Amino acid sequence: MSNGIYGIEIAWLDAVIRLHIIVGLMTVVVMGLIYVERKILARFQQRLGPTRTGPAGLLQSVADGLKLVGKEDLRPRNADPWTFELAPYMVFIPVFLGFVIVPFAFGMQVRILELGLIYFVATSSLGIIGWVMAGWGSDNRYAMIGGMRAAAQGISYELPLVLSLISVAMVSESYNLNDIVLSQSTYPNLLWQPLVLVIFIIAGLAELNRTPFDIPVGESEVVGGPFVEYSGIRWSFFFLAEYAALFIMGLIFAAVFMGGWAWPLGEELGRGWQILLVTIKTSLFIFLVFWIRASVPRLRIDQLMSFSWKILLPLAFLQVLINGAVLVYEAPLWILTITGMLGIVVLVRLIERAVRPQPVTNESTVSIGNESVS
Amino acid sequence: MRGIVKSLATTMSTFIRGPVTRGYPSKHRELPERDRAFPLLLWDKDIDEPFCTGCHACERACPVECMTVLMKDNPSHESQDGNSKRRKIVDEFWIDYGRCMRCNICVEVCNFEAIAMNNTWSGHETSVYDRSDLVMDLPQLMAQSKSDEIQEWVAD
Amino acid sequence: MVVESTPGFETQDLLINVGPQHPSTHGVFRMVLEVDGEIVKDLVPHIGYLHRGAEKLCENNDFRQGVGYMDRTEYLASHNAELSYVMAVEALAELEVPERAQWIRMILCELNRLSSHFMFLGAFGVDVGVFGTPFIYAWREREAIIDLFEEISGDRMMYAYFRAGGLAWEVPGNFEERVREVLVSTRQGMKDFDNLLTRNEIFLARTKNVGIISAEDAVELGMSGPTLRASGVSLDIRKAEPYMYYDQIDFDVPVGTNGDVFDRYLVRLKEMEQSVHIIEQCLARLDDGPIMPERMPRMLRLPEDQEIYVRTEAPRGEYGIYLVSKGGNKPWRLKVRSACLSNLQALKKMSVGQYVADAIIILGSIDIVLSEVDR
Repeated sequence: MSNGIYGIEIAWLDAVIRLHIIVGLMTVVVMGLIYVERKILARFQQRLGPTRTGPAGLLQSVADGLKLVGKEDLRPRNADPWTFELAPYMVFIPVFLGFVIVPFAFGMQVRILELGLIYFVATSSLGIIGWVMAGWGSDNRYAMIGGMRAAAQGISYELPLVLSLISVAMVSESYNLNDIVLSQSTYPNLLWQPLVLVIFIIAGLAELNRTPFDIPVGESEVVGGPFVEYSGIRWSFFFLAEYAALFIMGLIFAAVFMGGWAWPLGEELGRGWQILLVTIKTSLFIFLVFWIRASVPRLRIDQLMSFSWKILLPLAFLQVLINGAVLVYEAPLWILTITGMLGIVVLVRLIERAVRPQPVTNESTVSIGNESVS
Repeated sequence: MRGIVKSLATTMSTFIRGPVTRGYPSKHRELPERDRAFPLLLWDKDIDEPFCTGCHACERACPVECMTVLMKDNPSHESQDGNSKRRKIVDEFWIDYGRCMRCNICVEVCNFEAIAMNNTWSGHETSVYDRSDLVMDLPQLMAQSKSDEIQEWVAD
Repeated sequence: MVVESTPGFETQDLLINVGPQHPSTHGVFRMVLEVDGEIVKDLVPHIGYLHRGAEKLCENNDFRQGVGYMDRTEYLASHNAELSYVMAVEALAELEVPERAQWIRMILCELNRLSSHFMFLGAFGVDVGVFGTPFIYAWREREAIIDLFEEISGDRMMYAYFRAGGLAWEVPGNFEERVREVLVSTRQGMKDFDNLLTRNEIFLARTKNVGIISAEDAVELGMSGPTLRASGVSLDIRKAEPYMYYDQIDFDVPVGTNGDVFDRYLVRLKEMEQSVHIIEQCLARLDDGPIMPERMPRMLRLPEDQEIYVRTEAPRGEYGIYLVSKGGNKPWRLKVRSACLSNLQALKKMSVGQYVADAIIILGSIDIVLSEVDR
């Protein structure tokens, strides 16, 4: 444990100060992320994005925030008051709890927990309760369908996510995020665990309810799902939670797979450089998420479930077993790289086999030509 | 998976190609000369009076009946010591832009080329707070032609 | 909803109202879904929110004024809608349309088919769940086509450019050059769509074997256009009963085999390639000449006690006009045979037994324009 920042020795005071810094940081980062997402998505779609508020639309998030604060806080008459009003906090607080363990640079985190990864997974899965509460409490059928979808999806994708993190923890021989980062100062984990990286990104997208897994909020089907009855500041809490979760997932990605602040320039760097490195790696993940959002359609709920249980979960289990065997018998780590690569090939094959349609008629391709009217 | 990668490559290619939209309210596209917004009346600069004689042709041809025309004797006709050849001239003219369906028929039926479609942006940006403000009277319909703001296009 | 009644649990189906205000009902369409979990058990469509009485209005307007109302029945493919109307009038008035006007009409109608199909691709892509990207791709290309229409007719959607007998006025001097320019960007747009969607695994998973309708059912329900052809029936009025100069043009009719949502998407994409091909041939045949018949009466009057049904292949299928004349300059009765209305009959048959999310993309794949359904 550290001795605290700025010489403050009292542990709880130190923690409170750090948490306050995190809250401020998180708000600013979320506002930035919303702006960046809108700009990047716009660019992918050959649009301009926000331009009217401030130079190049920089103040768009501020304007949005002001608008949301100014809006009336509506509650449907038939809604369950407690469930409805508490749901945004139930979504937001678990996300915020996740910030306790994420490392921004050496020593720059709220607390170094020995079971950091387990803590992260445990807190992030709590958010599902909030989604279900929002879906159930709104007394809206779209919201209810959305809430149920969120529950099903959250629980299913929790497992591949946990298993992927466990695989990495096995290689790094620790659950402590600080130690995981330090263990990667020469080679990042993604070198040893390419399959796990893919599984982490897919499961992470599902955890974040991002395209192609934005089924609970599916704009064109359930019109925002659990959020459909929320307005104003409560709605903005959902938004805050969504982007904060994205930010945390990026930070975990940077720390667990990309070597955080330690790789590739070693752990002796100055703090500024460390923060820069982590920022770049986090941005990479976030950019990927935005990129995928602009490019792929949404899956259907049954396809989503079968993909998780039939493809991702067995592969993740297999990786854990292989990791165990390699580590117990102290085989060279490059075996993991090769098996991981093979795993990715298998994953791609399985996905392509899964989408190949079962033929209903004789052939399912479009033929061009003139056939007689039947 | 390969198809998804292809999709990602496609969006990346449009990312590189750059925006195709314009920042509309601050940047206007140049309108073609045939652009049809709403009908306007034209001003005869030689004699300083409207071309319109109030003959009701457009009023009768309008499919949505958005026009009302009143005619009067021209005070500046030659017989009244004026310099105009128009015996009758428009007295009042209202067009309800809220009803107009911009079909161009009024322009086609006009025998005096006195009415034309507004082909400038001012014709498209006519938002008002009250529907009754969309009923344009004679001075409003004339203003743009008087001040040379439009270059009318009339089909031959 | 779970209702406790007997010692176990009894389940009850859930009614969900989709529309008329819903992001993916393509206007003001409303359907009531009866769902068991995520599976659609029953579907009741409700139409009529956009009824304006266009047919009745046409009875009170002469043949020049009526064109404007036809635009508004099919606002995504106004040229095609105008075409049926003016062809019906021309047939009754026995007007000979000049050659040049016919070629220009063909070019404009095919361009309008392109712009309408782009609209379909964009909206459909969004229904399937891509966040806006297909919509902007589609808008980009549709914008180029609509800009061209604006240069020709002066308006972006309600062209009112076709007249009984020919065209309202001559096209601008650089018409051919501009059409060729538009075709270049159109090809790029089609390629972008092909790359973005056609082979995307998620897109395939969502659209393949979803919302299947067999050829027999499709014919019995009176479907037409790409929605019918996706089921394997090669019925294209441009081929079956050539009007204008389609018999002199070489083009194929893409036909699907499976009748699912993916086929309806792909048939439209292939059809766009054919439209580009048709436009190129039309441009080659375009000659100078008049655009209106030489002896055109100032006010067109139709002979007494005549009736006619004219149908053309609009982007969404058979757009028919049934016109009864009892003399005078106005139709005595005008009936619009809307392709969208007939195609919409199949919605229930396609959707029952599918997932809620599928019902949305099935509706999208029919490509309805509500103003044509309700008129």
